Amino acid sequence: MAKVTVDGKVVEVPNDANALEACRAAGVDVPHFCYHPRLSIVGQCRMCMVEVEGVPKIQASCTVPVRDGMVIKASTEKALAARNATMEFLLINHPLDCPICDQAGECKLQDNAVGAGLPVSRTSEPRRQFPGYDRTPIGPHVIADMTRCIQCTRCIRFCEEITGTGELTFVERGGHTFVWTHEGRALDNDLSACAADVCPVGALTTKEFRFRKRVWWLDKTRSVCDGCEIGCNMSIEHRDRIVYRTLPRVQPAVNDFWMCDYGRFRAEDLNRQDFLKPEIRVAGSDARKQTNWGEALDVVKIAIDRARNEEKNIASKGRVLVLGSARLTTEENWLLKTLFEDSLKVGTPEFVVDKGPKRRIKNKVDGWIYGTEAAPNSRGCEAAGLKRNRPGDGSALDLLLSKKSFSSSSPAVLYIADAAFTERANDLEFVLLLRQASVLIVHARVKNALTDAADIVLPSAPLSGKEGTFVNAKGRVQRVDTAIMSPPVVRTDLEILLHLGGRWDLLDTRWTARDVFENMQASVAGYEGLAWDSDAVVGNPPSISPAAAYDVLGLERDPDVEVFSRPSVAAPDRRS
Amino acid sequence: MSGGSNVPVTEQAGNPRVGEHGALSCGRTLSFSGETRADFEHLLTRYPTKQAALLPTLWLAQREWGWISREAVDYVATLLELSPAFVWGVVTFYTMYNRAPVGKHLIQVCTSISCHLNGAEEVYAECRKRLGNLKPGETTADGKFTVIEVECLAQCDQAPAVMVNDDDHYVITKDKLTSFLGSLK
Amino acid sequence: MSGLAPIEPVLLSRRGKPDSASIETYLEDGGYASWKKVLGGAKSGEWTPAKVTDLVKASGLRGRGGAGFPCGMKWTFVPPKEKRGDKPVYLLCNADESEPGTFKDRLLMEMDPHQVLEGMMLASFALDVKHAYLYIRGEMVHVAELLNKAVADAYAKGFLGKDVLGSGRNLDITIHRGAGAYICGEETALIESLEGKRGHPRIKPPFPAVSGVWECPTVVNNVETLCCVKHILDRGPEWFKSIGRNEKNTGPKLYCISGHVEKPGVYEAPLGVSWNTLLAMAGGVKGGRKLKAVIPGGPSAAMLTAKEVENLPMDFDGVAAAKSMLGSAAIIVMDETTDIPKAVTSIAKFFAHESCGQCTPCREGTPWMHKMLKRIVNGEGKKTDLDLLLQIAGQMGNGMTICVFADAAIAPVLSGITKFREEFEAYVAKSNHPDFALAAPEDLTNKVADRTAAGIHS
Repeated sequence: MAKVTVDGKVVEVPNDANALEACRAAGVDVPHFCYHPRLSIVGQCRMCMVEVEGVPKIQASCTVPVRDGMVIKASTEKALAARNATMEFLLINHPLDCPICDQAGECKLQDNAVGAGLPVSRTSEPRRQFPGYDRTPIGPHVIADMTRCIQCTRCIRFCEEITGTGELTFVERGGHTFVWTHEGRALDNDLSACAADVCPVGALTTKEFRFRKRVWWLDKTRSVCDGCEIGCNMSIEHRDRIVYRTLPRVQPAVNDFWMCDYGRFRAEDLNRQDFLKPEIRVAGSDARKQTNWGEALDVVKIAIDRARNEEKNIASKGRVLVLGSARLTTEENWLLKTLFEDSLKVGTPEFVVDKGPKRRIKNKVDGWIYGTEAAPNSRGCEAAGLKRNRPGDGSALDLLLSKKSFSSSSPAVLYIADAAFTERANDLEFVLLLRQASVLIVHARVKNALTDAADIVLPSAPLSGKEGTFVNAKGRVQRVDTAIMSPPVVRTDLEILLHLGGRWDLLDTRWTARDVFENMQASVAGYEGLAWDSDAVVGNPPSISPAAAYDVLGLERDPDVEVFSRPSVAAPDRRS
Repeated sequence: MSGGSNVPVTEQAGNPRVGEHGALSCGRTLSFSGETRADFEHLLTRYPTKQAALLPTLWLAQREWGWISREAVDYVATLLELSPAFVWGVVTFYTMYNRAPVGKHLIQVCTSISCHLNGAEEVYAECRKRLGNLKPGETTADGKFTVIEVECLAQCDQAPAVMVNDDDHYVITKDKLTSFLGSLK
Repeated sequence: MSGLAPIEPVLLSRRGKPDSASIETYLEDGGYASWKKVLGGAKSGEWTPAKVTDLVKASGLRGRGGAGFPCGMKWTFVPPKEKRGDKPVYLLCNADESEPGTFKDRLLMEMDPHQVLEGMMLASFALDVKHAYLYIRGEMVHVAELLNKAVADAYAKGFLGKDVLGSGRNLDITIHRGAGAYICGEETALIESLEGKRGHPRIKPPFPAVSGVWECPTVVNNVETLCCVKHILDRGPEWFKSIGRNEKNTGPKLYCISGHVEKPGVYEAPLGVSWNTLLAMAGGVKGGRKLKAVIPGGPSAAMLTAKEVENLPMDFDGVAAAKSMLGSAAIIVMDETTDIPKAVTSIAKFFAHESCGQCTPCREGTPWMHKMLKRIVNGEGKKTDLDLLLQIAGQMGNGMTICVFADAAIAPVLSGITKFREEFEAYVAKSNHPDFALAAPEDLTNKVADRTAAGIHS
């Protein structure tokens, strides 16, 4: 560790830190563009100018390695004047198109122009144009506009150093330098939209978010990507019940600053408005009728009780088969376990996980980490006490799926807590196997072949509408918050289970996800001693000690200033 | 047609022509001929990394095909295990790699200070005028001449200095232009 | 006339000899004697790398590339073997002669390539280099061919290759051709370029002597510097020191004189020769006209008025005392007919074209200055332009950028406008710029300018 004095304040920083990081650790804001904590230092933007005692010339702080006893003066007249100068140079050719630029509001150039720029413009020369290189898609997700580029090379370094794919390069030189791909080769890699994230200005933006919302209108909610078991921390950015985008939320232990394109853009599903309604099968008919929650849950209870009684009569196990889902929170899966196994004694709930395409993300600690499952929470299911189904393991589900049980031993009730627990839920043959059960009950977000075949459909909320925790591949317990209240006709899986349990007076219907979390902690491996509100669970970067600060403070969307909100809409009355 | 990378200096300041095109296609896949391939293999023995051979390899490519096309970039990138974008970035940084076909005689007029003091700008303008009012970097219709402006050729004692392809020409004043151009067949 | 007397040519001693570039004539003239001497004495310990370095140090040789840094001292920055481990040391000969007005290295390589190679060999011995590179600028196609032939001949004669002259030492030299970029004359940009990248100067530290090309210790020396090394080894440091104005400015020096003189060319004179002697050597100002200004070290150096340059000792310290620099000794002479604003505009165009584009102030500032200057000489200047130019120039250099390119780019603008302001004002006075009357309110502009200027130069 090196002791460094910044504007009179002494901080200790690691020996490999630079002066910029030391300043930030000391709480002294030094404006910058090209510096990024996970990219190599290039010292190109010349914005982070400071004075260093004993060095006659002004220094770009990111290029100055700290040494013990170094005295940095970050707020002298000379330093401020140097930043004025750099801002002036950056602005002489930057278009004045903030009103139509998507970056406006979270633009480093805007921030630094206000914080470190001159109040007037002294240029009267025509501004540089890049005809043919403006507003052009350079990949499946990223649109480039080189008139806005400030040549900081973050995107180039991202593609070279993080993904290693090297699609971007500086082209030309001097005042005509711009960033582009080689002709005919797109910026197309599995993390490509992160290039737009690292862009401090509006030169790279994502097609999906372009012109959709001014960023200052967006509410931000902490969440975790449910695309695979890596569990990238993300922020759901929404307004008026519409999710406009999801962004990676900085988490050095998991996804660092990054997020894969698959995870980022699947969030569009959250905006599907084709919610289902509670429906039950009309006795002796092929049709279902819409009903209310009260009746639907009563019917579920009747079906389960009947099956349990039958079970007693014929002493055959497996008359009620419960399927949890790795797409649900640990709290929800634990409720399944506690209700059906511990209280109703109908056997251990099982779950299956689809193998998904290989996903990957990189962080500084682990390097690349990979995800191979199509759901975020198989670890949580196991921790909650559910049994992972594997073909040939002889479990009830296995018997059902292997067609061996087309007999009296097939379940009277099949309770599926997530109708989309597998891709095969849209496969009619697979659904027919499940349909061997006398009564098929599903929680479902949207319609699929399985919901069509079900006797009772209980509509459930999407990821953006629920709270709870997932356990990722590394065993980290990570919380998701409710971003958007779903319409009143939809309930979270947690609420459905609590109300169902309430039918037997087995569960307290007033519980929240937090109550479930606290009640299950003692019995769920990995949850012992964790607090619902702790930084670890919430996913806040480690608390900021001066020594650690340099590592987490250089964030582009600084977590310490980011306002994560609770749902902005008043909760509708959900009493049934 | 543009003069490729040798975009004339006067055209750039204040009126940039960059962005006119990315790497142009030559319409066929390329690979080195036997002789060039041998030169390339020899190059690799002179450097500890493959990447270091990039500039000389691009020279070989220009020698072989006259200019650096999109396919040439792809080919060189494959040879040296670099990303095509990286190679393109290097090609565009240096002014001497032609990014479009040039005329048989690439006339490079120096207009840096010593030549400027000796009337190089007039020579440059006159030269283009005589060849049919060529725009900076333009090639004559018969494909014989391309005229561009370049920076110092290190022949300041022979100002105004002109380079035609790889050959140096000394003291090309306005008066000498007729015989100079006449000497280029 | 005062100053040092002309000397017998040293570096140019073989100028004008028939076939001077061939290895045969070079050997006839006693070439490679030092190389043989040093290698011959290497086994017995008579000649050690340290001894060569000490001789160069003792000679007081300062780098001829522009900065004038003591050559021997530069060599000592290379970490000793126990510190650098298995990493090889590289010697790069900087032959990327691109500073407008400089053509001495071209002459040296064209006329006497083996002199350059022998200098490289001796420096390689001193630095324990196994592979040296000569980075020649792309435009010198035929010079590169000539050098390649010289290298091949040197290999054939056993001066290069494995077990050179039976000394047990290996040495390779490779000629590497650039492709048109002034900035590659900057040593870290040259290193990047040699590695096969865009020529972007690097952040220092680390300095090349510690981590240069391929992250190995690297010494970059100019062509002329290395030629001097050969002569120091030939004749000894005392002889070298006997030439030159004083202890700190020693040895023979090549001066490139161009522009408005009767006989432009390369002239060899003792370092520190007086301006007047040099001008006389070049035949005086063209047509007997009056001298107006002199650029003493290429466009990167501030221009000097005729009065300032009078009797000036032309060495590193002498020119620095006049607030300019000797640089590569590219002396550009401008007579009374010279249109200074146009000359400055031409130089500004050069720098705008050659900026590598990585640092904001230089990337944006050099074209900005050129645009304004072009507007002024095109008759569209504004009243505020001249002060604004000075202010912009004032906020580009002095550590605002990674390398000193920006400092070079502002020197002609600052010196030109300060010393010949009336010529610029005459252009502005004739201006027909439509915004002429709409110049920014003076108080506001000045306030901003004061703050900026005061801040940077305080």
